Amino acid sequence: MATEHKQSSGFPRPDYIIANKLEGLPEELYAYLLLVPAFFMVGAVALWPLVDTFTMSLHADALTGVSVGDFIGIQNYVDVLTGQRNAVLPGSFWYAVGLTVVFTVGSVTLETVVGLAQALVLDQEFRGRAWVRMAIILPWAVPVVVQGMMFYLLFEPSIGFLVAPLQELGLFSSTPLSNTQDSLILITLTDAWKTSAFMALIILAGMQSIDRSLYDVSKVAGATAWQRFKLITFPLVLPAVLVGMLFRTLGALKVYGVIEVLSGCRTVPSMTCLVISAFRSNRYGTSATLAFLTALIISAFILVYLVKFVDSLRGIGGSA
Amino acid sequence: MTTAQNTDAEDGGGPFTNWVKSAIENPGKVHRAMFYVALIFFMFTTLFPIYWLVVLSLTPNDLIVNMGPIPRGFNISVFVDMWQTVPLHQYMFNSFVIAITTTAYVLLVSSLAGYAFGRLEFRGKGGLLLLLLIISFFPPAAFILPLFKLFTGNVVLFGLHSPDLFNTVGAIIVPFSGLFLPLSVFILTTFYSQIPDGLEDAARVEGTTRIGALFRVIMPLSAPGLSTAGILTFIAVYNEFFFSFLMTTGQPENGAPLVWGILAFQSQYTSLYNYMAAASLIGILPVALIVVVAQEKIVSGLTAGAVKE
Repeated sequence: MATEHKQSSGFPRPDYIIANKLEGLPEELYAYLLLVPAFFMVGAVALWPLVDTFTMSLHADALTGVSVGDFIGIQNYVDVLTGQRNAVLPGSFWYAVGLTVVFTVGSVTLETVVGLAQALVLDQEFRGRAWVRMAIILPWAVPVVVQGMMFYLLFEPSIGFLVAPLQELGLFSSTPLSNTQDSLILITLTDAWKTSAFMALIILAGMQSIDRSLYDVSKVAGATAWQRFKLITFPLVLPAVLVGMLFRTLGALKVYGVIEVLSGCRTVPSMTCLVISAFRSNRYGTSATLAFLTALIISAFILVYLVKFVDSLRGIGGSA
Repeated sequence: MTTAQNTDAEDGGGPFTNWVKSAIENPGKVHRAMFYVALIFFMFTTLFPIYWLVVLSLTPNDLIVNMGPIPRGFNISVFVDMWQTVPLHQYMFNSFVIAITTTAYVLLVSSLAGYAFGRLEFRGKGGLLLLLLIISFFPPAAFILPLFKLFTGNVVLFGLHSPDLFNTVGAIIVPFSGLFLPLSVFILTTFYSQIPDGLEDAARVEGTTRIGALFRVIMPLSAPGLSTAGILTFIAVYNEFFFSFLMTTGQPENGAPLVWGILAFQSQYTSLYNYMAAASLIGILPVALIVVVAQEKIVSGLTAGAVKE
């Protein structure tokens, strides 16, 4: 087989040499070789940075250049967690954790409810269904910066008609974009606007895998629509809902971009906001500490995922 | 609730009460009504912010005060004038360069990995797949400091300084090429594993090399999978905020993408709201077109990426 690739000049082309070398490898070695480029990239932009972030977090702030000062052990962690670094940050670490958690719980709950309702609508047969689905997906595809800009233009008091009535109802202050509580509500709303579609699609996929004959049987047995939803649809889509919720939780805990565009990190200092503001003021030790703590909090949720879904993962990874 | 409406319906005979009467006899009618209410509500909530951009962009800027939901004028020239304030096309060009390069690279590398995960047997397969998955969940904030150090030439390995990529598209492409890999690997693993072994065996018997079988048999047969992974990667990169914002100082000649183009209107022309709205609309346009053309792929990719993981 190898001979037919040889050129008439007698020199084999280099790609044929490589291809022929690969022929001789045992399957396992060949598999590892194919994984090298992927894991090299992931190692370079994720694994090494994670380890290096931890190393940096054990060093003092140097305040000059892109570097850290002396090794100080866990002093940064002690200072950040006990609030002794608050003066150089837009908010204390625990305040940021609180804000981020409130945002995450609010937006994931809203997205789940809206996503479920959207999925129920899309699960029906009706004319123009593809167009409706397209309209529902569209926000998911909108860039974060435009998403922030849209809601800025909707809720900047001097422009739109939305702020005044909300203010009269006592729900919003006169400047919602520089008020922490109002901004938090708006950021939750924009996030739900953008990512409900993701939940809807996941839940819809779950719904469409339900055996339709279950519904026929329940109709014959005289179940009402609510009973059909409660006893068939909901329990069977619940796993899909939980997967979607976990994905969205992991995403929501990283919230940053939309805050930066809509109201700024001073108004709503999320966990990532603290990392960036310390980074911007050249406090690399503090910034790395905050980044690593953020990663730890998110890891706790990843652990939930692993415990719950490691078996289904083996399903696709191992049986191929 | 229905009983309360029922008593009202006994006395009168208007169109509403008649409808309620017939609805009580036929609950399917109520569900249909609820369905249409929900449908209209969701269409309104998802499309209104985009419609608002249209309203603001068509209204001349001096009229944008306490705007209602209807445009005051039809100032289409904003889409021409806007380019003279901020070179949005240069920012968008950078975004395209970043998104296309990343997508091409990610597809190539994740094809190799997806082939290994989907079609080969080796020890540690589950663990390695899990590692990729976990990495894609970590916050970008945990990676930014070392990557910033790396791209500003402050990492020294074997006496060599790292390349100074900060303020170029490279500083954005490299992190994306790693961080958006796992999604594609998962999608392609699923697709590649579904191709019957017989097809690959036949090609091998015909004299195709191992690597040739991947490029000439498996990949063409998985074209739907490749386009799904490609479209999702392109949209994810085009929409990304974090590295796009932090890996450049924001000038178009420094590789700044769309993020900076839109923010330039907000920071430099603080009251040109019609320009901000018009720029936002133009920024959405490429991804909106992709959604229109490739809706099915997006749906299958998002659900395959999430449900099957």
